[in-house]
Amino acid sequence: MAADGPGVAAAVKYHIVIDGKAAILSASGDHFAYHAEGEECVERDYSASPAGDGAWSILIDGRSYAAKLLGEGEVSINGRVFQVEVFDPRGPRGRRAAGERSGPQVVTTSMPGRVVRVLVTPGQQVAAGQRLIVVEAMKMQNEMKAPRAGRVASVKAEAGATVSAGDILVVIE
Amino acid sequence: MFKKVLVANRGEIAVRIVRALREAGIASVAVYADADRASLAVQMADEAAHLGASAASESYLRIDKIIDAAQRHGADAVHPGYGFLSENAEFAEACEVAGMVFIGPPASAVRQMGSKTGARKLAIAAGAPVVPGTEAAVDSLKDAKKIAGALGYPVLLKASAGGGGKGMRRVDREGDLEAAIRDASSEAERAFHNGEVYLEKLVLEPRHIEIQVLGDRHGHMIHLGERECSIQRRHQKVIEECPSPLMTEYPELRERMGEAALRIARAANYHNAGTIEFLVDRDGKFYFLEMNTRLQVEHPVTELVTGLDLVQWQLRIAAGERLTVRQEDVRWSGSAIECRIYAEDPDHQFLPSPGRITRLQEPAGPGVRLDSGIYEGWDVPVEYDPLLAKLAVWGPSREAAVARMKRALSEYVIAGIATNRAFFGEIMDDVRFRAGALSTAFLEEFFARRQPLPPEPEAEAVAALVAVLAQRKVSVARSTGQASAWLQTGRESLLR
Repeated sequence: MAADGPGVAAAVKYHIVIDGKAAILSASGDHFAYHAEGEECVERDYSASPAGDGAWSILIDGRSYAAKLLGEGEVSINGRVFQVEVFDPRGPRGRRAAGERSGPQVVTTSMPGRVVRVLVTPGQQVAAGQRLIVVEAMKMQNEMKAPRAGRVASVKAEAGATVSAGDILVVIE
Repeated sequence: MFKKVLVANRGEIAVRIVRALREAGIASVAVYADADRASLAVQMADEAAHLGASAASESYLRIDKIIDAAQRHGADAVHPGYGFLSENAEFAEACEVAGMVFIGPPASAVRQMGSKTGARKLAIAAGAPVVPGTEAAVDSLKDAKKIAGALGYPVLLKASAGGGGKGMRRVDREGDLEAAIRDASSEAERAFHNGEVYLEKLVLEPRHIEIQVLGDRHGHMIHLGERECSIQRRHQKVIEECPSPLMTEYPELRERMGEAALRIARAANYHNAGTIEFLVDRDGKFYFLEMNTRLQVEHPVTELVTGLDLVQWQLRIAAGERLTVRQEDVRWSGSAIECRIYAEDPDHQFLPSPGRITRLQEPAGPGVRLDSGIYEGWDVPVEYDPLLAKLAVWGPSREAAVARMKRALSEYVIAGIATNRAFFGEIMDDVRFRAGALSTAFLEEFFARRQPLPPEPEAEAVAALVAVLAQRKVSVARSTGQASAWLQTGRESLLR
C-alpha cells in the first residue's frame, strides 16, 4: 500500500448515506472504520487496486470484492448494488458548488438526521455561504449553507424535526 | 438455400437471426428506425436499410417499407422474428407476392390461429382439450346457473369482445352469479361497447406450459417438448425453463401434450416453427390456450436442452429442405433456464427505464448463453418493448442450472438504467422457485413474501470505501488541471 494521497491526512472522516442510512467512514490508505447508524462498527485493514475505469479490486483478510461505480451514486460490490452518497466535510461536494445558479433554489439535506438549529427566518436576506440550518446525524453536525445570496422564501423544517435524505429544508430566491 | 435474408425486426432477436444467417453463409440485411440507427443488429448485419421515424407504426410495422427495402437489397427471403409483423398474415402474403419467401408458416395458418375463437374451434376439431365453457353469450340467469353448475365452481365470466382482463369475474358460488354477470357485463359494455359475457371453467393455480413444434413443407412434423413459462408479470413471461418441473411429477405429460400440440398444428396445415400454449392445472390436466405462429422469445431454452438450432431449421424448412430429425431422435438433456432482462424497475411496479447504458459487463463461462441487443453507450429507446437481453443457462440438472443462473447474474453489470437483473437473483434463491412450485400467480405471491436482502456489513463498508476512493480520484483529477495523462495516473496511483 502506498501512502495516502497528497494533502489527505490519515483517517479522514466522511459522512455517507448508503441505501438511505447514515454512516461514517474513516479511511486512511490501508485501514478503514465504517460505522452505520445503529449497527456495529466494521473496522478492517484493506488493500485497494484500480481495476479499470471506475472499478477497484478490494481485498480484506484475503476476501475479494469486485467493486464498480455505476454512476449517479451507485456502487456494485460482487454484483450487489448499493446507493451511496459521500459528503467530504472539507470538500466542495457537500455544498454542491451551486453558487452561479439563478432562480429559486432549494437547500436539501443529503443525510437523514435531526434538525438541531434553524438560523434563518422567511424574508431574511442571506449571503452566499451563510449558515441556514444545522442537521445532526450520528452525533455529527452538518451545516447547510446558502448556495448563493438571496432572500429566504421559506423554511420547511423546525428544530427537533427528523428529516430524510432529499428533504427540502430551505428555499432561497 | 437463400443468398440474402432481410431481418424484419430489431433488438436482441434481430441479432440472433443475423448470427444464424452468418453461420449459414447467408448475407443479412438489417432494417432500422431512426432510434435504431446505431443498433447492435445494424452493426452486425452485412447490410442495413432505413425504414423511417422511430415510432413502430412508421417503421417496423410498415409492410410497404419493409418489402421495398428487401427488394432494393435483393433479399430472397424475410425473417420476421417475433412481435411486430411476425403474426401478420398480410405481411406473409405480401412477401410471397413480392417473390420472396416468408420464413414462417403459411399465411392461412397465421390467419386461422390469429382468431381466438377460430383457434379454439380448430383445437376442439383436432381432439385437443380446451378450457371447458360455452362460446355463446349468457342470455339469462337461469341458463347461466345451469351452465356454471355443469362446469363446476369456481367459474370465470369473460367478455366476448374482451381482452386485458376487462369484463372478467371469478365466481365461486351460485349466489354470487347474478351480481357478477351484472358487473362483468356493464364493465364489458363500457370497455368494448359490447356487454356480452360467456362462462368458462376457472383453472386453479394454472401453469403456463407450451410445446414447441417444428414441421417441414413435406408433411413431417415433430415436437421438441415443453417450456414452462409460468413466471409472468402482467401476462408477460419473465422466466422460462425446460424441462418443466411438473414433468418429474407426471412423466408422461410431455408425450401427451406433444401429441395434442401436433394434432392442432397438423389441423392447421402448419409448417416451420410454432408454439402451442396450454394451461395446466395442479392435477396435470392441460387445456389449449393459443398457438403462436412464429419463433418464441424463449426458444433458447429448447435449443439448449435439445441441441437443435431452431433458427437454422426455420431457414432450411423455408427453403424447402426436409426436416431430417425424427421424433425418436429428439433427446432432452439436462435443464435450461432463461431470464428476460428488461429495462424496467421491479421495485417500482416494473416501470420502464429507457436511457443510456453507461456500463456493461456481460456474463460468460460454462453453460451461459446471452442473446443481447445492447452495448456500452447504447441508448435504450423509449419507443419499443423494454427487452434488452435474454440470459439463458444450461446445467445437467435443474439445481445446477439455478446455481449457474445465480452465478451468471452476479457477473452481469448493466448501469445507467434500471433493470430487473438483481431481482432474478432473489427469485433464484426463493424456496418455492427452487422447489419448482410454479403457477401464473407466482410473481404476485413472491412480492407478498419478498424479504429485504440480508445485510452484508462488510460489502456495505466496501461500497462506502469505494465511493470515497472514487471521490478522491475526482478531486485529484480536478486539482491537477492540465496535467499530462501519465502524471495524473502517477498521482492517482498514490491513492491506491
